[in-house]
Amino acid sequence: MTDSNSHIGRRSYLKLAGGAAASAALAGCTGGGDEEETTTAAEETTTETGGEETTTSTPEESTEPFNVTITQGQMPSGLDPQDHRETPTDIVVLHAYDGVLTRDATGAMQTALATNYERIEGENAVRFDIREGVTFHNGEELTPEDVAFSINRVVDEDVSFASPQSDQLAGVASAEVIEGENAVKVNNSSLNPIVFSEFATYLDVMQQSWVEGNSKAFISQNMNGTGPFKLDSYTEDEEVVLSRYEDYWKEPAAVETLTFRAASEASTRVNQLLQGETDVIVNVPPQEVQRVNNNENTRVAAAPSTRIIYNAMRYDVEPFDSVKFRQAMNYAIDLESIVQNVLGGFGAQTSQPTLPEFVGHNEDLDPYPYDPEMAEQLVEESGYAGAEIELNTPVGRYLKDLEISQAVAGYIDELPNVSASVRQRDFGSLVDELLAGSIEERPHWFLIGWGEATFDGGLVMTALLSSEGLLTTWQNEEFDSLLEQAGNQSGDERDATLQEANTLAHEECPWIFLNQQFSVYGVNDSIAWEARSDERIDAYDMSLK
Amino acid sequence: MSLSRFLIKRSLQGLFVIWGVITVVFGLRFISPGDPANVLLPPDVDPEVRAQVIAELGLNEPLYVQYWEFISGIPFGDLGLSLVTRTPVASRVVTKLPATLELAIAATIVAVIIAIPLGVVSATRRHEPADYGATVFSLVGISTPNFWLGVMLILVLAVQLNLFPTSQRPIGIDGILLLVLDGDLGAAADGLGTWLWHITLPAITLGTYFTALITRLTRSGMLDQLGRTYVRASRAKGLPETLVRYKHVLRNTLIPVITVIGLQLGTLIGGAVITEAVFAWPGLGTLIINSINARDWPVLQGSLIVVAVGFVLVNILVDALYAYVNPQVAYD
Repeated sequence: MTDSNSHIGRRSYLKLAGGAAASAALAGCTGGGDEEETTTAAEETTTETGGEETTTSTPEESTEPFNVTITQGQMPSGLDPQDHRETPTDIVVLHAYDGVLTRDATGAMQTALATNYERIEGENAVRFDIREGVTFHNGEELTPEDVAFSINRVVDEDVSFASPQSDQLAGVASAEVIEGENAVKVNNSSLNPIVFSEFATYLDVMQQSWVEGNSKAFISQNMNGTGPFKLDSYTEDEEVVLSRYEDYWKEPAAVETLTFRAASEASTRVNQLLQGETDVIVNVPPQEVQRVNNNENTRVAAAPSTRIIYNAMRYDVEPFDSVKFRQAMNYAIDLESIVQNVLGGFGAQTSQPTLPEFVGHNEDLDPYPYDPEMAEQLVEESGYAGAEIELNTPVGRYLKDLEISQAVAGYIDELPNVSASVRQRDFGSLVDELLAGSIEERPHWFLIGWGEATFDGGLVMTALLSSEGLLTTWQNEEFDSLLEQAGNQSGDERDATLQEANTLAHEECPWIFLNQQFSVYGVNDSIAWEARSDERIDAYDMSLK
Repeated sequence: MSLSRFLIKRSLQGLFVIWGVITVVFGLRFISPGDPANVLLPPDVDPEVRAQVIAELGLNEPLYVQYWEFISGIPFGDLGLSLVTRTPVASRVVTKLPATLELAIAATIVAVIIAIPLGVVSATRRHEPADYGATVFSLVGISTPNFWLGVMLILVLAVQLNLFPTSQRPIGIDGILLLVLDGDLGAAADGLGTWLWHITLPAITLGTYFTALITRLTRSGMLDQLGRTYVRASRAKGLPETLVRYKHVLRNTLIPVITVIGLQLGTLIGGAVITEAVFAWPGLGTLIINSINARDWPVLQGSLIVVAVGFVLVNILVDALYAYVNPQVAYD
C-alpha cells in the first residue's frame, strides 16, 4: 500500500498510468456467445422530462446464503473505481460502488443512487435527486456533496487527480449541490444529448471525506462504497474477497462471500469450473463450450456484447475509393457461414455500424447477402478488376480474429477478378498506425473491433466513421452533417437522424460489416444468473437455484 | 587461486553479465513494436497532455539520458513503478518470487527423487528391460512440451480422477512459516498439506524435462565410472557390489550431476512461465505474462532483471561449490 515517487509529476503520472490499458474501446476480449441466446434490445431512455424511479430486479429470497467465486482473465489493476480503464477492474469495483444511474442485464437504463433525473429547462444542465438513507460501508450516510465530488473528481483534474475516465463523461463540465435540496446539478458544456446514457454506464460514487482523508495508494487498495458488497481482503494479483453488505439500500445480496481470482489461460478457467473450484468464468472459447455444457454441473451463459468487429476500407486509396468495389466486398463474403462455422454461432451478423441494442440502430437494414456473382459484377463496374488487396489483422485480440480474416480474404480471393491475402499484425503496431493523426497513415484494409458501453450508436460512428474520427477511414460530408445534426438533438429525433446515418453507411460501405462479438461465460448450475450485454458480471443478481 | 579471489573474480564477471542483461532489457522496449505513448495513454487524450506526459516520462530525452535514468536506480533496488498498478516494481517482483522459487525447488526435488535412482538402475542394468524403460522415459520426458504435459495432467489427474486440484496456490511456504511463527502448528500442518496438494502437478510438469535430463546424466556418469580402474580394484579386493556402486561410483557420478542441478535451478526459475500460466500459479512467470499482455514495461523489465540476477548468483554459487566438493577442480 505504498506508492513511491519518481521524477514523474504525480498528476501526469496518474493520468498516464490510468491510461495504461490503452484504448478500452479497442481492447479486445475473447468471448463468444450462444446461438440460442436471444438478443434483447436495450431501452435507451434519455428522456427530457426525467426518469421515474424503477424497481430493479432483486435477488430471489433464499434462506441459504452461498459463496461465489468468479475467475476472470486478469486481476484488477487497483480498487480505485475512478482510476482505471479495464473491464476486469470494473467488474470487481462495481460490486462495492454504485452510480447515480445504472443498467439492467439487457442494457436498459435504471435509477440507482438517484431517484429521479431530468434536464433543467433553459440550461445545458441536468438534475439528479439523490436517494436518502443510503450508507457507505463505513456506516456514514451518502450526501449530495459526495455525488457532486465524485463527478468533479472524474471531470476536473484539479479536484483530486487526472482521472483516465474523464472522456467517459464527455461534455460534463462540473457538478454542484442544489442549495437546500437533496439534489445535484450537473453542468454540461453543451446540450450533451447522451448525458444520462453516460451516467448509466460510468461514474461510481465515492465518499468525499474518505477520499480526502486517505492517500491515493490507500484508496487503490481499499474500497468504501455504497454497493451490495464490501471489501474483506485484497491480495494484489491474486485475490479480492468481498462480503455481503447487510445495510445495502436495496435488499442485501443473496451471495454471502464473493471472491475474484484470475487465470489467464482459458483452459485453466474451464478446468477450474468443471472441478467446482470456481463458479463463474469469463471468455469460454468456442471449442470448450461443449465440454462445459456436457459437464453435469455447469452450463454456458452467453450474451451479445457491445463490441462490433469490422473490416475498414480506406476511402482514399485504390481500389477502395470505389463505392461499388466496397459494396462488392460485402456481397463477396458469406457472413452467415462465418458466424456459424468460424464463430460456432457465437456472434451476430451486422449490417451497419450501430449494434441492435444501441441508440440509432436501424432495424430496416439487413446484412448484405452472399452473392458472389453480384460481387464479381460490381468489381467489373468499379474498374478495379484484377485488384490485389491485403487484409491487416490482429491475432488473438478478438474472438477468432485471424480465422475471420482468413475466411473473409478466402471468399474475396475466390472472386475471379480480385486477389486477397491476409497479413498478420502485432496488435500494438497495428494500433500505432490506426491512431496515427491522419487517414493517410492508416492501413488500406484492416480488421478491428470497437466496444462502446454507453449503448450509443452516435459515439461509435463519430469515433470510427466521421471525418475527424479517432479511427476513421472514411470522409463523407453528408454523413458528417448527420452526426453533427444528431449532436444537437435528443430523444426520438436524434434516434431518427442516427438511423439515417446508419442507412448511409450501409449503402456506402466504408466497412465490410462483420459480426457483433458475444460474451460467453461458464457458470455453475447451482447459480441462477444471466449474462449481460455490457460485459459486467453482477453477483447481486445471483441466487441459488 | 583462493576461494575469496575466485568469488571476487566471478562476481565481477557476474556484474558484467547483469549489466549486459539490463542493457538488452532496456533496448527491448525500443525494438518492440508499439509506441509506449499509445500504450500508456487513451487514444483520444488531449495532445498537450500527451506531450506533457511524454516529456515527464523522459520519452523525448536522448537515448543515453533515458538509459542512465533506467540503470542508475537499479543498484538501489529502484526498478520504477508499474504502469498499471502504480506500485513499486521491486516490491511486486519480490512478492512473487517465493511462489516461483518454491515451484522451482519442488520441481528439482521431484526430479532428483525420480532421476537419480532411475539413472543408477539404468546404468547397472545396462541393456536390460529396466535400462530400456528408463531410456524411453528419458526420451519422452525430454520431448514432451511443458504446456501439453500440464494440461494433460490436469485433465487426467485433476478433472477425471479428482486426485489433485486443477490450479491455484491457496497458501505458500511463506504463509506456512508465518503460521509456525504464530505458534499455530495445527494450521501450519494443514497449510503444508494444502500446499503439497496444490504444488504436486505443477512441480511434476516443470520437473519432467529436468528428470529426464538428470536420468541421462546419471546413467552416462555411472557407466563412465563403472569402467574406471578403481572400481575394478575395489571389486578385486572383495568390496561388496552395493558399496562399490553406491559409496564410490555414485558419489563420483554425482559431482557433475549436482553442478547441472544447480545450473538448471536458475533455468527453472525463468522457465516456469508456461507452467505458472497453465496452473494459475501466482509467481514471477504469471507476472511476466500479465505484464506482457498489459504492456507494463517496467514490470516486465524488472522481472527479467531479477531472473537474470538469480541465474547469475546460482551460477557463481554452483561454481564455488563445485570446486569445493571436488578439490581436483581449481579456482581458476
